[in-house]
Order: sequence, then C-alpha cells, then structure tokens
Amino acid sequence: KHGQRMRKFKNKGKDAAALRMQRVEVSIELRKAKKDEQILKRRNISLDVKEGSVSPGQDRPDEVIQLSLEEIAEAVNGNNPKLQLLATRVARRLLSKQKDPPINQIIELGIIPRMVEFLSGADNAALQFEAAWALTNIASGTSEHTRAVVEGGAIPALISLLSSPHMHISEQSVWALGNIAGDGPVYRDALINRDVIPSLLALVSPVTPVGFLRNITWTLSNLCRNKNPYPPLDAVQKILPVLVCLIQHEDKDIIIDSCWAVSYLTDGSNDRIQLVVDTGVLPRLVELMASTHLMVLTPALRAIGNVVTGTDQQTQAAIDAGVLAVLPSLLRHTKPTIQKEAAWTLSNIAAGPCQQIQQLITCGLLPPLVELLDKGDFKAQKEGVWVVANFTTGGTVDQVVELVRSGVLKPLLNLLSAKDSKTILIILDTLSNLFVAAEKLGETEKLCLLVEELDGLEKIEDLQNHENNMIYRAALNIIEKYFSGEENSDLEPQTGQDGLYDFSVKKQDFDF
Amino acid sequence: MELSDTNLQTLTEYLKKTLDPDPAVRRPAEKFLESVEGSQNYPLLLLTLLEKSQENVIKVCASVTFKNYIKRNWRIVEDEPNKICESDRIAIKANIVPLMLSSPEQIQKQLSDAISIIGREDFPQKWPDLLTEMVNRFQSGDFHVINGVLRTAHSLFKRYRHEFKSNELWTEIKLVLDAFALPLTNLFKATIELCSTHANDASALKVLFSSLILIAKLFYSLNFQDLPEFFEDNMETWMTNFHSLLTLDNKLLQTDDEEEAGLLELLKSQICDNAALYAQKYDEEFQPYLPRFVTAIWNLLVTTGQEVKYDLLVSNAIQFLASVCERPHYKHLFEDQNTLTSICEKVIVPNMEFRAADEEAFEDNSEEYIRRDLEGSDIDTRRRAACDLVRGLCKFFEGPVTGIFSGYVNSMLQEYAKNPSVNWKHKDAAIYLVTSLASKAQTQKHGITQANELVNLTEFFVNHIQPDLKSATVNEFPVLKADGIKYIMIFRNQVPKEQLLMSIPLLINHLQAESIVVHTYAAHALERLFTMRGTNNTTLITAAEMAPFVEVLLTNLFKALTLPGSSENEYIMKAIMRSFSLLQESIIPYIPSVITQLTQKLLAVSKNPSKPHFNHYMFESICLSIRITCKANPEAVGSFEEALFLVFTEILQNDVQEFIPYVFQVMSLLLEMHKSEIPSSYMALFPHLLQPVLWERTGNIPPLVRLLQAFLERGASTIASAAADKIPGLLGVFQKLIASKANDHQGFYLLNSIIEHMPPESVDQYRKQIFILLFQRLQNSKTTKFIKSFLVFINLYCIRYGALALQEIFDSIQPKMFGMVLEKIIIPEIQKVSGQVEKKICAVGITKILTECPPMMDTEYTKLWIPLLQALIGLFELPEDDTIPDEEHFIDIEDTPGYQTAFSQLAFAGKKEHDPVGQMVNNPRIHLAQSLHKLSTACPGRVLSMLSTSLNAEALQYLQGYLQAASVSLL
Repeated sequence: KHGQRMRKFKNKGKDAAALRMQRVEVSIELRKAKKDEQILKRRNISLDVKEGSVSPGQDRPDEVIQLSLEEIAEAVNGNNPKLQLLATRVARRLLSKQKDPPINQIIELGIIPRMVEFLSGADNAALQFEAAWALTNIASGTSEHTRAVVEGGAIPALISLLSSPHMHISEQSVWALGNIAGDGPVYRDALINRDVIPSLLALVSPVTPVGFLRNITWTLSNLCRNKNPYPPLDAVQKILPVLVCLIQHEDKDIIIDSCWAVSYLTDGSNDRIQLVVDTGVLPRLVELMASTHLMVLTPALRAIGNVVTGTDQQTQAAIDAGVLAVLPSLLRHTKPTIQKEAAWTLSNIAAGPCQQIQQLITCGLLPPLVELLDKGDFKAQKEGVWVVANFTTGGTVDQVVELVRSGVLKPLLNLLSAKDSKTILIILDTLSNLFVAAEKLGETEKLCLLVEELDGLEKIEDLQNHENNMIYRAALNIIEKYFSGEENSDLEPQTGQDGLYDFSVKKQDFDF
Repeated sequence: MELSDTNLQTLTEYLKKTLDPDPAVRRPAEKFLESVEGSQNYPLLLLTLLEKSQENVIKVCASVTFKNYIKRNWRIVEDEPNKICESDRIAIKANIVPLMLSSPEQIQKQLSDAISIIGREDFPQKWPDLLTEMVNRFQSGDFHVINGVLRTAHSLFKRYRHEFKSNELWTEIKLVLDAFALPLTNLFKATIELCSTHANDASALKVLFSSLILIAKLFYSLNFQDLPEFFEDNMETWMTNFHSLLTLDNKLLQTDDEEEAGLLELLKSQICDNAALYAQKYDEEFQPYLPRFVTAIWNLLVTTGQEVKYDLLVSNAIQFLASVCERPHYKHLFEDQNTLTSICEKVIVPNMEFRAADEEAFEDNSEEYIRRDLEGSDIDTRRRAACDLVRGLCKFFEGPVTGIFSGYVNSMLQEYAKNPSVNWKHKDAAIYLVTSLASKAQTQKHGITQANELVNLTEFFVNHIQPDLKSATVNEFPVLKADGIKYIMIFRNQVPKEQLLMSIPLLINHLQAESIVVHTYAAHALERLFTMRGTNNTTLITAAEMAPFVEVLLTNLFKALTLPGSSENEYIMKAIMRSFSLLQESIIPYIPSVITQLTQKLLAVSKNPSKPHFNHYMFESICLSIRITCKANPEAVGSFEEALFLVFTEILQNDVQEFIPYVFQVMSLLLEMHKSEIPSSYMALFPHLLQPVLWERTGNIPPLVRLLQAFLERGASTIASAAADKIPGLLGVFQKLIASKANDHQGFYLLNSIIEHMPPESVDQYRKQIFILLFQRLQNSKTTKFIKSFLVFINLYCIRYGALALQEIFDSIQPKMFGMVLEKIIIPEIQKVSGQVEKKICAVGITKILTECPPMMDTEYTKLWIPLLQALIGLFELPEDDTIPDEEHFIDIEDTPGYQTAFSQLAFAGKKEHDPVGQMVNNPRIHLAQSLHKLSTACPGRVLSMLSTSLNAEALQYLQGYLQAASVSLL
C-alpha cells in the first residue's frame, strides 16, 4: 500500500492523464435539468402585439379567422390554394400560442406530409413560409413531435429551402432545422448526411442581418451538440472556421450560441479538443470568461473547462491564454454554479505536472481556493476538494507546503463533516498525501498537532464509525499511522529440534 | 424436507430447545438446525411457523432464526454453491411482504430486517415488484401496515446515505424515486391531515407520528445523494409541512419520561437533520426557506426544557444554527443586536448550565464525566453544541458576542456572590462561558493554542479562580474546584508564570480532595504544568522552584492513590512519573518508601491488569526511580533488583502478557547499570529469552531485542563459552526479525550487537549465511528502511573485520558480488543514511574500503573507487538532519509509536545512543584525509591521478579542505 503511494508520488506529472478527471462518471441524473444550459428546441411564438415583426405584415388581428381542427385538415388536404394557405396559417397560429399549443392534435390530423409538400411549392412563397413555421413549432416539442416532422419527410425539403430567394423563408427553415438537430445525435447526423452544413454556412456573410445570423448560429450550435456519438469530425472541421468568426461578433446572442457550440466541441476526446485549440480561439474564450453577462460567461467557462481536461499541452494552451488570471473572480462569483465550474476547471489544472501547479500558485489561485472551500456553495466545495486532492498528488513537497501555508487545512478538515461519502474519502486521501509530504520534511509531528488543533483529529476519529467501509478504513489508517500505529512479511525461520528458531538459508543468485 | 405437519412439529421441538439455558440441550439443537438449513423448504417451514404456530415464543424464535438464516445464506457468492434453492427464493419473495405486514411488531421487525437483507442482493433487478407491492399498501389506510412498509423502505434506502455515487446506485435511486416519491409525498400530506383530525386521540397520534418519523427519515435518505427533481418541484409541500411540524406541540404527545426522547422530539430532531442537509448541500434551492427554519428552530430551542430527553433534539438544533451562522450570506439573519442577545441569553446560556444529570455524573460516574469534560468526547452534548454555536457566532460577531457575554458573566458572578452555596451553579456557567468564549483552538498537548483577545484571562483567573482554590476547605463546592483547576490547565499558556507558580501549592493541596474529579484534575493540571517548556528547551517550572514542595507533592500524590475510586487512576500515576522526572535527585531521599509503594501497586495490579495507561506510567516511574538513584549511586542497582525480581518472576511465570514487555525493559535498564561481567542470575534467563513463543508477540520484540543487546554487551564472552549451543537460536531470532518488514530494523540491532561484541571465532561458521540472508531480503523485498540498516551493518562489519574480509566474504558468495553491492547499493543509496552515529559508521567503513582494500586498487573494482569516494563526500556534505528529538521528559505515551499494538516503549528506560566507533575516530573527514594520505604513501601517484582525472570539481574542493584540516597532502 505504502509502495503504491510512493509510486504515485514519484510519478508526479507522468500519469496526469489518469489523474485528470472529466467527472461525468455517472450518466444518471437525479437533479432537474440545468436551468442555465442552452435551449435545445425553440418555438416561434407569435405574440399578438409584436405579430408584425415576426412574420412580415401578414397577420393582422382583424384577419384572424377561426377554423375547427377538422376544417383545417379538410382544407389542407384539399386542392384550393387559398384555403390551403388559410388553413395552414390557422394551424401555424394555433401552434404559436403562448400556452399549450395543440401540437398533438395537429399531428393527429395527419397533415404533416401535406405541409411538407407545401414546402416545395416555390410558386407559393406565403404557403411555403406558413408551412415551414408550422413545422418549426411542431418540431420544437418532444422527441415524438420532432419525429413526426422528420418522418413526414421534412428534412430534404427544409434543406433545399435554405437557398430560397426569400430570406424569411430561408430563415424559418434554419430555425426548423435547428429544432430537428437539437433532438439528438440521430437526427443531427441525418441532417449532416444530407449536407446541411455547406448550405447553412453559405448563408453567413458580412451582410447577413443580425437576427438571421443568430438563428444560424443557434442551429450550428445544435449541429455541434450531443454525444454518443459525437458529430462526425469532418463536419466539425467545416463548421469550426465559421464559428471562430461568429464568436468575434459583437452581438451577445451570437456570442452566446457560438460559445455553447465550442463548449460542445471541446466536450470530447483530446483530438477534438485539439481541433478547437488549433483555431486559436482560446484567448477569445478566456476574454469572454471575464464577461459580466452570466449567459456569456457560462458557456465560455464550460469550453475552457473542457479544454483543460485534455493533454498537458492543451491545458498549457489554456494557461497561456490567461485562464488563471480570470479564475479567481469566478471562484468568488455569487452564482454557485459558476463557482462550481471554475473549481472544476481548476481541479483539472491542478491535476497537471508540477510546472502547471506552480503557475497556479504564482497566479494567486490559492487564496480564492481556500475562500471557496471555506465559504463556497457545497457543489463548489466538492470540486474544491478535488483541486486540493489533485494538487497534493502531483505537487512537489515545496508546493504542498505552500498549499498548507495558504490555510487550506482548516476548511478541508471542516468538510470532513460533509454529507457526501466521496468527498470525505477524497479528503482523507488528501490528508494521507499531506502526511507523506510532512514525513519527507520530518514535520509529521507538527502536522499532527495542526490537524488536532483544527478539530480534525476528532472528526477523523469519528469517521471510524462511518457506515461506509472505505471511509472507515481510510480514517482508521490515518489514525493508526499518524496518531498511533504498525505492519508485517516473509523469510521466516522454522523452529528446530531444540525448540529455538533454526538459523538457515538457501542460497540463490543475486542481482540487484 | 416436505412442508408437512410432522416436519413442522419436529422443527418446533428443536426451536424450543434452542431457547434452553442448558448448553447441553441448546447446542445440539442449534447444530441440528444448521445441518438441515440447506434443505429445500426449510425457510418456508420457518415462515409457516412464525405465522401459524400456537405459541408466541415459537413464532418469535422462528422469525429470528429465519432472519439469521437469510443473513447467512441469501447472498450468492461467486464460485460457491447457491445455498438456497431457486423455488424457495421465489416463494420467500412472494410471501414475505404480506407476512411481515400482518405480523405483530416484534416479528415484523425481524422480517423487515430480512427483507432489507434480501433487498440488498435482489432489489431492484431480481425483485421488480417489491416497490409496487409496498406502495400499494399506502392506500390501505391501516397505519400498522403502512409503518411496516415505511420501516422496510427505510432499511432498504438508508444505505443511500453513505454509499459512493455510482451509475448502479443512482439507477436504483431513480427507480425508487419514480415509484416512491409521489406516493410518499401523498402519504405525508395525508398523515399530517389525519394528525389534525385525530388531534385528540392519543393512541392514533402515536401511530401517526411514528409514520411521520419514518417518512422524515426516508426523505433524508432519498435526498442525500443529490437533490432529486421531484423533491425540488415539491419542496414547497415538504418544507412547509416540516416547518409547521417543528412548531407543533400537542399535550397528548408529551411524555412523562425524563430520559427517553418521545415521538415529538424524535420527529423534530429528524426535521432538523433534514433542514441541515438541505442547508449544507442544496443551499441555492433551499435559500428561500432557510430563514423560516432558523426562526422556528430557534423558537424551538427557547421553548424546550432542560430534560435529558430533549438532548439530542437540542444539540441537533443548535448545531443547525451553528452551521448556518458562519455562512457569509446568512450573516444578516443574526446580525441584529437583539437577535444576538436573544440567542446568547435564551439559547446558549441555558444550555451551558450545569444540570442535575451532570451533577449526578460528577459524583457517581466520574470517569465518564472526566472523559467528556477533559478529553472532549462530548460531541453530542448540549454544552458542546452551545460551545460550537459560540465559536460559529464569533466568526463574524466576536466583539458583540464577547460584549453580551461579559454582561452575563458578571451578573452570574454577582448571583453567586450573593449566596454561594445556593447559587454556585451560576459561577460554574460563568466559567464555562468564559472558557468557551476564549478558546479558539486547543490540543491535548498544549491546551489552548489560540485565545480570544477580547477576554482578559489573567484578570478572571486572579479575581475568580484563585480565590476558590485558596479556600481552606478543599471539599467545598467540588464542581467549582474542578472548574478552577481545569481553567488553569487549559489556559496554562495564557496565564503568566508567576500565577502558575502561585497555583502549584493550591493544586498539590487539592490532590487530597475527596471528589475523584477534583483530585484527578489536580494531578492532571500538575502534570501538564510540569511539561510546559520554558526557554532553551528546559521546563518552564524548574526543580529548584519546586524544592519547597517535594515532600508534600509526593506524599499527596501517593495518598491520592489510596482515595476511594482512584486506586488505578492514570492521571495520578502520570503526575507521579512527571514529578520524578522534573525533580530528579531531590526525590532520592524518598525512594525507599516510593519503591515499596510502587512494587506493592505493581503486585496488586498484575493480578488483573486493566488500566493500560496507569500501568505504563507506573513502569515509567519505576524506571525513573532506578535511573535517578543509580546515577548518583551505581551500587544501588542491587537493592532495586532485590525489590523487583520477586514480582518480575511472578509476572513472567504467570505470563502476564501486558506486563512482560515492561519487565524486559526494566531488566535491560538494570542490566546496563552493571559495570562488570554479567551476573549469573541473568545468565540463567538467557535460553528462555530465545523461545519462539515470546517472539511471536509483536509487543515483546523491541524490549527483548534491547535485553539481548544488553546481554551481548555485558556477557558476549560468557555466551560464547558457556552457551555456544544457543548461538544458532540467537541467530534464528535475527532471521525471524529480518523476515519482517516491520521488525527488520530490530533484527539489525541484534546483528550489530552480535558482530560488535561476540568473539569472532564464535560466529565464524555463520557469517556467510548471515549475508546470504540479507541479500535475499535485498533482492526480494527491499525497503528504504532495510537498505539504511543494511548499509550501517556492512560498514560496521567492515570496521570490525576489515575491508578485505568484507570483500572476500561477498565474493565467496557469488563472483563479483562486492562490486555489485558497491555499484547498486552503497554508491546510490548511501545518502539515505540518517543519524549521526549511523553516518559516522558508514563514513569510517567506506574510508576503509577506499584505503584498506587492495582489490579496490588493482582489480576491475578500481573503476568504482572514484564513485565511492564521491558518494562518501556527498554523505559528509549533505545538509545535516537537524530535527532534534523530543527530550524524553516531554514525551507522552501517545507519542511513542506502536502504543496501541501492544508494545509500550518506556521513555525513561531508554538507553543512551551507543557509538561503536567511539573515540577510535573523532572526525571522519580528517580520518578520510589521513587514510588517503597513508594510501598515497603506499602507492605514490596513483591516488592523485585518479582524483585529478575523474573526481568532480566540487567534491575535489571539499576533499582538499579535509586534507588541509588534517595537515596532510597526497603523494
């Protein structure tokens, strides 16, 4: 056991990859889906007041006509273009209601294939538009709803509408496609296989209106999103250069969605991270991490956080881009989730070689870390514990001394009463690391006193009664080893005829 | 086994027999049941019996037997046969839940345990309908049944509180949440409604509240790992109801029992836990509810009485406040002066009061009282919780809190002054308050290490503590006496020395107090004061300052051991030890009486050693008596042997395991005191010391090695002449020790003594084997510790037998062995050697190899000459290991390694470090220079040319320094 620990210590930095944790071990979530994540699907809602601005001048309240669902179905399936348009518009309007749009009922009418047909009617732009809008809103629902649209054959039709001469139709198609892509990896790849990317990218130009550009960016981000499997590499390579331009835009929403896109692309294997690093976008991401807008800062932080889960070189690229300068204020952020993600990012930097740990010290990350451990939100404290654990595993003795000097011990020991078994175990492991360092300095006694003074001994003793076996053993181990304690092996002599030990050995060949 | 009436009958008979008090009847019946438990239907027969037997005692017995059977057999272990056949498993799972629910409570508990054992293995995959089956029972409306379900669910889910997050675990929790969370919530709401409809029906309320407690516990388990979506969405329901339950009171639920917590207390206590869980882990989501809980909990505290039954609730509630008040974003909840005052006045002060239960413990259960009060095993007490709250509040409000309390302290002291005999508890509370307010950090070894600077500790000491201790009546107000003594003890580093000195006679006086707590505290305080460090690593209180008190101190200490309840009081014995160590030769006049008392004590406790600390300090005191006396008068050793050997023989003959390691140490100490040849009384013991049975006990090893070393030092030639046949046995002990990574250094101690003291011819035939053995360890399992000891040994060997002998014996074991050891072990590892003597041995040994070993000059080993010299210079020039060992006076038993694993090293039996090189070489650097000079004279030019071609510049510079210092030069 001891040998193992020694080895871990000697190899500092060498098996950083093993230390570096992308802590997504558990794929099951008990929590509510996170509120500050990017939205997967969006409905195009017509607000009565602003109606005109969304669909250029087509809906005036006085024109609103009421049709029953049956009448809609009948008209859509019929051959009268006027009635078709009317019915589609009524359907679209129902689907655009603020509350409880009747998506299921519309699907049950079986009119989706018909609407898809309308998409191809190049001679009836108004109908094309209404159909695209209706389909957008159907696809914005559950997976079931999206599937109804896809199975109605909408994908090829929507993709060809991207090059519609009417910008509002093209824009609506972008939106619809975004909803389909947002459903998951299967439809996302279905779109990519239909070559959606070149057509989408072709829409990006210096003269594209901002509103349109927002939609495109959002759809692009959905094409980058989701794992199992990840989007195909060549698709990523096509999107990246444009994304890197979009992220430089001055519009906040465009920045937000392109940041999310980059964060998805970095949330994967190291070669995917490398593609992003190679674009040189890291300094921009770090700059955005300092944004005062939570919506901007969140995905930028996520992206950088993902990058530092990569190789030492990739982590170094993030450090060179200045991540360590912005992390202190994020560790002190008022929003707990930001504290948490910042601490997570730091934990992966701390898992690097001791040179990177040194930069972490030099850039003044220890005081905010100690503060976070002391007063941060529990989620963030948990990550903070990982920072310390990784630091003590890979850091040199001098660095560990620096860490202890910064006052980490008190909050760390306090967290031994946390209501989370894993956290407790990691703290105990960390303490063992600290004791190993103290032994090297001949300061075990001093550390023992310090631990006791900070009420740590009492807590560790108490943990010997913990229900969790591993915690119990780790606590016992520390108590036995440092606050009392002893061990055993082979080569044993036999007992001879006189009842005493027999002194005898067999010779073997030696090679040291 | 058929499910037949005959079998049921037989089983009933045997079960009955297992309850028989006569082992002759009971054992065979138990054996029989074990022998048939592998048969099919056995568990079903048990289930049938526990349901249908006519006799209640058989029902219960069958249920217990069934649970134990499940516990032993249900788990399927890989590569082992399945111990329960599949059809039985299915039948059990199909029947056990309804059976459990329809059984009376006693049996229900057993079956519920069985279900959770089965559940641990089979749930959820292999028992998919369990949850639905349970949830369906919620509808039954029968709270006996519902409580059965809840209890089972609790035993199934409580592991969520301590297991690590994993996919498997979370999948299970998710499944449970999906099926269970909503029904549980509905049940919770329904139960609360029923509570108000049955508000006047005591028996209904009891059942309902039992359900609520279980529901609250389930809430805790289900919310432990993470905040589930369902509970986040339903937080309003849960928290609103929890909150109102906290504020609820119903006369019908109040119990008369003072000790046992009632349902209401248990429920509120669990709710405090639930709130604390949310406050700690899900702060962001819980924030809107938290202030309400703070208020409710604090009102709860204000209205809850002093009875013991409320202790858990109160300490949980206070701990909740303590954890919240130190969070920056809740600071505002406490900030208001009125709030702070009210918390101090209504929550903290009342819970610091000395209660009837404390008074009882103080008088009748003093050991427990001391443990709680002195050693801090008071985690769950109200006082402790109140103390933690003070500390928590001081984080942000040290000034105001100190101010508020000063007022209270003053008024409590005034109350006391008005009528001390009635109001003494006020003063107790005042002292406790000052203590908790002032102490910020504390260790056993140093007392308070950080104090609140706003509290004037010395002033309080002089005005309020000392007067009590000066009172002529030591037995008056024992609690206040104990408080005062404790105050001196913990603030010993804050109170000035002159005050401490003035307190010493007072403390000595209190050794006579009848109260166990008081005289124990007095002894402990003296002991702690005597260990305080002054300047220059000496004791703060000197022997000279203690001179006027020696006699009264010793008299009172030994008299205290005769007070009722203190005959094996470890604090007193430790104080005796520390006094001896401090007073040194001034105790000599009292030794005859002291040693008689100690031997009598030893004889008495050896009948049944039960207080390990007491025993340890007693042996330490014996060692000190011997050392102090014999230092002044070496001849006195005989009289100690006379006084002690009788008792020692008895201990060895009766194999009093706890004492044997001590006896060996005292004997070593005595033997080492002898200046001439070993007395025959010792020699007779020698063969017995080699008995394997002694060496199998790890606790014996260090003292036995030490004793054998003393034998070798004093009587090597006697052993060689009179006990030569025991030499293989002696080496066998060495082999035994070297085989163990834990004990190998002890093996080397022994080996070093053998090589140093035994006449060479007596060990000649074994030398090769010794090395083979060492090489084997080196090859198979080397450790740093082993290498360090090994290096010291071979260099010692080299010094004793010569470098050439070393080279020859190595190469006789295997060709080129010497070179391999030099290259792979000595050169790369020599810098690891630590310790002054050890380094010196290695330096002298290596110097010999360099200068007195011809093959180093004229064989292929020559290429190692420069690297070896370089390594030696490195050894000289490495920064010295400057850690100073604790002076033995200050040593605590807790510091000596391995105390808990049976070996207790006596600090005061310790021997001086032995330097086998001694005067032979004073300065190893000069010695190297001189030896090199000699070598260069023998072969002029060789040394110089080797140095100039390959030694690195830095090393060369050092070497030139040595040559200069020795005033020699190389030719």
